[in-house]
Amino acid sequence: MTDPSVSALMAEETEGGVPNRSFWSDAFRTLRRRPSVIGATVVAVFFLVVALFPWLFTDKDPQRCDIADSRIPPQWLGGEHPFGTNVHGCDVLAELVYGSRPSLLLAFIVVGASVLIGVTLGTLAGYYLGIVDAIVSRTVEVFLVIPLLLAALLLLSLFRTVDLGDGLLATIIQPAIVLTLFGWMGYTRYVRASVLETKNLDYVTAARVLGASDLRIMFRHVLPNAIGTVTALVPTAIAAVIGTEAVLAFLGIGVRPPAVSWGIMITEGSEWFTGGSQYLLLFPLGCLLATVLAFVVIGDNLRDALDPKLR
Amino acid sequence: MGRYVMRRVLQGVFTLFLVILLLHLLTTLAIQLNGNPAQAFFGDRPPSPSQLAAVEKRYALDDPCYDQLGNPCLGPFVDRLAAYASGDFGESLRGREVTDIVGTAAPNTLRLFAVVGVTWMLIGMTLGSIAARRRGKPSDQGIRGLSVLIDALPIFVLLLVYKYVFSVPLSKWAKETFGSDSLPALLFKPSFSADHPWATLIVPGILLGLAGSAAFIRLVRAAQLENYNADHVRAARSKGLSERHVTVHHVVRNSSIPVATAVGIIFTEALAGAVITEGMMNIYGMGGVLWRAVQDSDVSVVIGIVTLLAVVTVAVMIVVDVVYAALDPRIRYD
Repeated sequence: MTDPSVSALMAEETEGGVPNRSFWSDAFRTLRRRPSVIGATVVAVFFLVVALFPWLFTDKDPQRCDIADSRIPPQWLGGEHPFGTNVHGCDVLAELVYGSRPSLLLAFIVVGASVLIGVTLGTLAGYYLGIVDAIVSRTVEVFLVIPLLLAALLLLSLFRTVDLGDGLLATIIQPAIVLTLFGWMGYTRYVRASVLETKNLDYVTAARVLGASDLRIMFRHVLPNAIGTVTALVPTAIAAVIGTEAVLAFLGIGVRPPAVSWGIMITEGSEWFTGGSQYLLLFPLGCLLATVLAFVVIGDNLRDALDPKLR
Repeated sequence: MGRYVMRRVLQGVFTLFLVILLLHLLTTLAIQLNGNPAQAFFGDRPPSPSQLAAVEKRYALDDPCYDQLGNPCLGPFVDRLAAYASGDFGESLRGREVTDIVGTAAPNTLRLFAVVGVTWMLIGMTLGSIAARRRGKPSDQGIRGLSVLIDALPIFVLLLVYKYVFSVPLSKWAKETFGSDSLPALLFKPSFSADHPWATLIVPGILLGLAGSAAFIRLVRAAQLENYNADHVRAARSKGLSERHVTVHHVVRNSSIPVATAVGIIFTEALAGAVITEGMMNIYGMGGVLWRAVQDSDVSVVIGIVTLLAVVTVAVMIVVDVVYAALDPRIRYD
């Protein structure tokens, strides 16, 4: 990767006690040089901006539809409906733009909450062992036996008739809770294993001898070792949640109409594919695949950069 | 070994008990928050109180604890455990026993799993071995790119595109060219046919297998790479064995142990994938039944099947652990 003279120079610097390249900046340097990562980041950031500031990309309301304008084919730039309209006469561009919000928000909430739960429980179990570990490990095993999708089907169909309102958060809170409830176990296992590996290393013992508190040891000395593996899992997990949202919408138990999400658009569009309106399926499918692919590529490269053992 | 198997089985039974308890607590909470699922029996018709009471009694939902939020309903839980123990997993809204439904549906799921397993093995072993042997070369990079691409295509999207975009014109073409009962016409049939269970399952099975194969490729590659650098492989090479012999007998054989155990871990994922596949392709299997039960709000079928699938999953995990212990003498039995 670097030529010999540079690595020799680096070796000198690190030997001199000035470690000027940390684990993270090292990984960042590796990632920065790969065109696929740059491309994927651009795509991911683009869709994040779309989800955060939808009004920048369309001035139409996805809920305000005129049935007289049903299924207008895409008019591209300049037309009133650049991406056409759907069966109910809703503007497809506006739907795509606003539909990105529930999909992405759900993914970020679920992954964020899962990581938080997983890291906390994994650290506690690995650090204290004994009874804490027994409870956590058994719980992990119980939740692992029920696959995420089965649990989602069961719980969301049970709670189907609960109406929480029309707000953005209200439409995704149910799938968010269920997907988090059955999505945290992977992180716990990784963090626990990594904590077990680290906690008896000399520098941790040194910190303990110096009188550091348990909390300080956990956060300052033990956790940073585990965070790399967990970070590498996050983009792939985000991609997986976006895909799961589409499945749940297809079944009518995820985000539900009148709210729009990419999953709902794909479900509605698939019925019209052979009926001559291919764009109704292709646009939302394209957006979903581009986003998922971007996150998977970032995840794959992160795994590579953060886990040198796999190279 | 016997003691190890014994302890593993006991552990599995305990886990299973906790799983059933968890499912029970979650459904109880749902019923308490959400109102009585017995309503679903009547569809949109408002039932009379006595009809409702009869249905509640039939599905064992008449316990007053279902109306008290926060009550764990342990009484009905004990009843349910007793029913499970005697092989009674409830009945559907149309009055069919869940065990009966599962008995007719399970063979199709097993067929689907057979196709999926073969696809995994073929794709994973072939591509993974090539990638490991040519590490860092363009073919390794290409296979890595391919597995990223596979990862990015959720099984749902694959099936949707296949069903709505490819299957209709393909099956039309096959019917016109080969006749409507020929093998190609059956292969591309967009829905399952009970008369030809194998032929109509192959394409959905291959798609499901393809969607899960990325993890397999990576795993095979990592396991074989570890062996290529191991001492016993260097020893085999230095005593003059042919590269082919070394690969087949020393690398592939040794690297298949972690791969075999991964089957157990991927099993639950495949189960979830099977639900999507069977649901979307109208396959009459466990997943297809579950899929339709969700759409019909047939809660007792959903609970019964999820419980049964949990039993199967625990059993598979135990078998994998025991096989692993039998295959690898380095594993300690404690």
